[in-house]
Amino acid sequence: MEGVSYQRFPKIKIREVKDDFMKFELRETDASIANALRRIMIAEVPTIAIDLVEIEVNSSVLNDEFISHRLGLVPLTSERAMSMRFSRDCDACDGDGQCEYCSVEFYLRVKCLSDQTLDVTSKDLLSSDHTVVPVDYSDTSSSFDNTPNKGIIIVKLRRGQELRLRAIARKGIGKDHAKWSPAATVTFMYEPEIYINEDMMESLTLEEKTELVESSPTKVFGIDPENKQETGKCMIVGNPSTSPGIPLCGSRWPNTIWVYASMVIVVDPEAYTYDDEVLKKAEAMGKPGVVEIHAKEDSFIFTVETTGAVKASQLVLNAIEVLKQKLDAVRLSDDTVEADDQFGELGAHMRGG
Amino acid sequence: MEEEKPKTEGTKAMSRPHLVAEKDYSALKELFSHHIESFDYMVDNGLETMLLNIKPIEICRQAKLSYTGKFLVDICFQYGDGAVIREKFNFGQFPIMLKSKLCHLRGADDSRKLIAYKEEPSEMGGYFILKGLERVIRLIILPKRNYPTSMARNSFRDRREGYSDKAVVIRCVREDQSAVSLKLYYLNNGSARLGFWIQGREYLLPVGIILKALVDTTDHEIYVNLTCCYNEECDRVKGSVGTQLVGERAQIILDEVQALSLFTRAQCLRHIGEHFQPVVIGMQNDSYKTKLFSLIDQTSVLDNPDSLQNQEVLLPGHLITIYLKEKLQDWLLKLQRSLQEETDGEKKKFELSSLTDVKKAIEKNAPKQIGLAIESMLKTGRLATQSGLDLQQRAGMTVQAEKLNFLRFLSHFRAVHRGASFAGLRTTSVRKLLPESWGFLCPVHTPDGEPCGLLNHMTASCRITSYYDSKGNVKDFFKMRMSILNVLIAIGMTPPSPKLVQAGPPELLSVLLDGRIAGYIPSDLIEKAVTHLRRLKLSSTSSIPVDLEVGYIPLSMNGAYPGLYLFTSPSRFVRPVRNISAPAEEGNDLELVGPFEQVYMEISCPDGGDGGRKTLFPATHREIHPTNILSVVGNLTPWSDHNQSPRNMYQCQMGKQTMGFSSQALNCRADQKLYHLQTPQTPIVRTKAYEKYCVDDYPLGTNAIVAVLAYSGYDMEDAMVLNKSSVDRGMCHGHIYQTETIDLTEQSAKSDRAQRLFRRSNLDKSSHQLIDTDGLPYVGQRINPNEPYCSIYNEITSQTTSMKLKGSEPVVVDYVAVDVKNKTHLQKANIRFRRSRNPVIGDKFSSRHGQKGVCSQLWPDVDMPFSAVTGMRPDLIINPHAFPSRMTIAMLLESIAAKGGALHGKFVDATPFSNTMKESESESSSLVDDLGSMLAACGFDHHGTEVLYSGVYGTELTCLIFIGPVYYQRLRHMVSDKFQVRSTGQVDHITRQPIKGRKRGGGVRFGEMERDSLLAHGAAYLLHDRLHTSSDHHIADVCSECGSVLTSSVIQPPKRAVQVILKQLPAREPKKVTCVACRSSKGMETVAMPYVFKYLAAELAAMNIKMTLKLSNEAGA
Repeated sequence: MEGVSYQRFPKIKIREVKDDFMKFELRETDASIANALRRIMIAEVPTIAIDLVEIEVNSSVLNDEFISHRLGLVPLTSERAMSMRFSRDCDACDGDGQCEYCSVEFYLRVKCLSDQTLDVTSKDLLSSDHTVVPVDYSDTSSSFDNTPNKGIIIVKLRRGQELRLRAIARKGIGKDHAKWSPAATVTFMYEPEIYINEDMMESLTLEEKTELVESSPTKVFGIDPENKQETGKCMIVGNPSTSPGIPLCGSRWPNTIWVYASMVIVVDPEAYTYDDEVLKKAEAMGKPGVVEIHAKEDSFIFTVETTGAVKASQLVLNAIEVLKQKLDAVRLSDDTVEADDQFGELGAHMRGG
Repeated sequence: MEEEKPKTEGTKAMSRPHLVAEKDYSALKELFSHHIESFDYMVDNGLETMLLNIKPIEICRQAKLSYTGKFLVDICFQYGDGAVIREKFNFGQFPIMLKSKLCHLRGADDSRKLIAYKEEPSEMGGYFILKGLERVIRLIILPKRNYPTSMARNSFRDRREGYSDKAVVIRCVREDQSAVSLKLYYLNNGSARLGFWIQGREYLLPVGIILKALVDTTDHEIYVNLTCCYNEECDRVKGSVGTQLVGERAQIILDEVQALSLFTRAQCLRHIGEHFQPVVIGMQNDSYKTKLFSLIDQTSVLDNPDSLQNQEVLLPGHLITIYLKEKLQDWLLKLQRSLQEETDGEKKKFELSSLTDVKKAIEKNAPKQIGLAIESMLKTGRLATQSGLDLQQRAGMTVQAEKLNFLRFLSHFRAVHRGASFAGLRTTSVRKLLPESWGFLCPVHTPDGEPCGLLNHMTASCRITSYYDSKGNVKDFFKMRMSILNVLIAIGMTPPSPKLVQAGPPELLSVLLDGRIAGYIPSDLIEKAVTHLRRLKLSSTSSIPVDLEVGYIPLSMNGAYPGLYLFTSPSRFVRPVRNISAPAEEGNDLELVGPFEQVYMEISCPDGGDGGRKTLFPATHREIHPTNILSVVGNLTPWSDHNQSPRNMYQCQMGKQTMGFSSQALNCRADQKLYHLQTPQTPIVRTKAYEKYCVDDYPLGTNAIVAVLAYSGYDMEDAMVLNKSSVDRGMCHGHIYQTETIDLTEQSAKSDRAQRLFRRSNLDKSSHQLIDTDGLPYVGQRINPNEPYCSIYNEITSQTTSMKLKGSEPVVVDYVAVDVKNKTHLQKANIRFRRSRNPVIGDKFSSRHGQKGVCSQLWPDVDMPFSAVTGMRPDLIINPHAFPSRMTIAMLLESIAAKGGALHGKFVDATPFSNTMKESESESSSLVDDLGSMLAACGFDHHGTEVLYSGVYGTELTCLIFIGPVYYQRLRHMVSDKFQVRSTGQVDHITRQPIKGRKRGGGVRFGEMERDSLLAHGAAYLLHDRLHTSSDHHIADVCSECGSVLTSSVIQPPKRAVQVILKQLPAREPKKVTCVACRSSKGMETVAMPYVFKYLAAELAAMNIKMTLKLSNEAGA
């Protein structure tokens, strides 16, 4: 075993990036790293969220706790979060979290004076720091902007009702409270490898093939229409609606079915959800092994959606940063040094040797 | 909800005008008979015209300000001497039912108006507000009025020698709702006795006397009449009810009368009068003949008094009517007596003819007591009555309408109790679910445990007949009856002429209208008559009431006593069914059917095919929907037809314990305790009833993503794991609102009568942070346990005391309301606290399928299993073992359906039995396939399963996981209200053992069984620790000489002597204890023992038993 390095060099290939969405491939690593990344993105990448609310006036219909809870869940832009201090670690203030290094102050002063219901939204929150503001969702999608996007509604006021408060936002992580979680969803899937046994597939009738294709609830397989064109035959399928790409020759339909030339192809392997429906179907048809599917153990496809607090790409980077910090903590801790004596080799590996 | 209104408030409201018109009249009747001497002149002036009026002079609904105010109304009795004088008397405050005719909310049909009154937009009324509490009068099952029921009870035998166990019982009800039960006992010698209770005593009369007393007739006529049902030719024929014995029995009855040498009606009346002088009998008029016929029930089947067929319901209005009547009677009697005294008195000052004198006398008699009596009856639910009002129970007539959540509130109004007297019964027969109650009482919605089967709930479609017709007008019973009679006579009924008809059942059947014989109808015409009547019921033009009950008991062999029983009376159960036999004129085919007639009707249910009906008896009616057999709450369970039935019962119970959105007018309420869910949701999967009854106004749950798997080990045994992040984001957050009412006048009245004020102390500034200058807390202030929340200044002692917060959790002051009625000083305040109750370990949750569980962990989001496709993590995890034995298939269906519904963005209808209702559609697709294809269309698995990955390892879980949204309810049982812990604390002052009770900081009892288990383990040290050291460990001084524990006494050596002795002999210390009995301290030893042991010795000593201890050093000596 000596001399063997376990070190691998994972590769990331980014497929799609938007402000709050990202899809990338993570290759040449294993589930532990992939899952660690996922867990960190959900629970340990710091963001800023309102943590303390001092209510001066609240004559709205919602009670103080309700409003402060809602305020807490409003995503705030948190690019600064990584460099900010946790208020518990802050030495500028005595941990009361009121200094500029560890907190951001917000004010909300709204009173309804008209007869119309007034929506108090996240836009009404006035920040003391222009970098930390409620996330603006209005510019992200311009498709449904019939109504002016006003931000996240906090409470509605009727005539005479008033809400006046001071809020303090602090840095935190999703582990402590979900409001600090920058991720709406982070998930990864194992990349599937799908083999179609062409010989066995050929032995199926078109009906069976379509049945097989249809058995998967997601569109993983399809019947290749081009292939049929090549053979120059007019294909007729029992149920035209199920495979819309196939031209239909109505007159010859009842008795002429040329089937053998059509091919089952993998349309989208990543649509496969590992539900085994196709395999079960194949087995039920008496053709086990016509399709074989394996999960690649070392490549993952990540989907990241953020709340808007951090850009999706930044979230991944921050997560890697946090992961590094955590590994550093392991490497530098006394326990690890002690353990080095016991498992010298492993310790060296841990430190990237 | 609109459905509910007619029921409660309709019955209620109607009672009032009725009560005015009739009840007081009867009270006056009482005047006539008893007070003739003293009230002679009043009679002359024509008391009949005397009117009583109840007028709401002032409606002070201050409840919304002070929340403790009573909803009161002054009754003014316009009390007049005929046309001459009318005087008003205040009969005290009379409680008024909400939304009744006297209630100011009555006019506010629009929900906007109700909101302006600071009420619920959907306020239904039907209850009373007494001292701030909402109370409902319980509906209680009574025997059907004016209908003879045959019974067999062993207790009848014990009445007197010669009585058999059989009797016919009829509950006669007068127009004013007062009732008397008459029992006709069958004697072993063939005769019969009529029994009735008056003022707590049962009187028994030979039936012959009654017969003769009631009608002027001859013995022969009676004989013929009694025996008419027997005909030798048709003995043994289907439908014959008489036997030869009848003749003999009739003979015996008549002989008996002759033995008493009574021959004419006058004589009989006199005879009765002689024996029952103090008693008024006026009751029997209505019903005498019916009993007579039922006597012959020897050949027919006994009626089951537990069956709904023979039952009706006691309505709030009727209860108040009869109660008020009695109270007025009592009062008038008292008044008469006092007037008598005044006139008979020495001083001739009192003049009956002078109105002022009479008025004075009336005032002296405290007429206000009457209003008070009604109020206290409603408040306590107890009837303070001499006669018993012919009711089986005197307590528990009202219950508090808890607004825990909407379902519970609603259920209070739909609940029907069998009667408190049945609760103690050992037999279970009364609790049985009988087929007669089909469609009227919900088979699902009854609590399990003690009140099971006794406390039932009416089905959603069940109604109670009232004095009002559908248009809201008071029914004219006389007219109604006349028109019914006219219809029947037109068909071929012979009216009961004075000449008695000389035939009985097989040929002629009697027609009884509300218990009175209306005539006789040939049995071959009767079917026609029945269908004709039913048709007329449907048509709006006829004067036949829609809720007429046409109870036709056909001829049968040894069946129930045949006849045509018609009922128009109020307080019967009715429900709508579709009449499919009658050609639907005017498009109306909904017929109201009662439980009495239902038994003999052919009603097909869509769920049951032809119901085993032969072609001989085609169905004449059809159920509107199979769910009509379920109560409102039972109807809310989605697909309850797929669940094991007890689970539906559990859900009916748990639905009522759910923390939900209890009130829209939360801000204006001061309930003692109010549960409130912060962010409720509307269920994706819901039944039609959910929308029909607007449950969305008061939602009570959350659509939680539920994964069914054994994941952390924390989901065993019905525990469930909640996702911490979901909880962080507000899932199932809730509050408890608690109102504290502080009434200073009450406080001072209780103790020193000193004037008290709300005021904070200026000296002690420590509480100024919590209490404002007015002595009340700041709104929005957080208060921790044992901190003061209000301070009270006592003017006499000039001390300020503060009220401290009890309990173990901090609260927030939500609202402070003050009663400003007292202009000078503030005397009454309501302080509403709010305690937030977010889910914690130990809180209880349940789905809508009787699947309850306790939260065992708040599991981190990242550790939850996740779906690779959607990234979804479940909100809660339950264990798959919850399903096999409980068979709540509907919960699985709900999960699939809700998933599909959520994906398609629409609600899914989950009305039970709905597959039976769609007639035309082909049977090809089953429910699961429908739901499954919804999922498949969105790329999900047909069966609602998904591949999940372990949140901890990131690896695929080895099987497919069933996951989907299920509507979860948070139940009100929360650990914060239940946990009990104690290290040290208060002890009982007699036994010196730790006290019990969570509130007082007591401990959990380490009882006998716990002791046994420690013994079995041999854990002696622990046992000693629990039962002795940590309990009432005591070191007692025992005198080894006399062996007494009690005689030790501590000597206090005189100070000076001690000093002297100490100086002289510093080495010797004096013994401190001595035995009083032995007068020495020689044998005193200290022994550790439980203090109760010493207490036992003392108790024994009090009984002259001496307990002696023998002390030794070694074990076993």
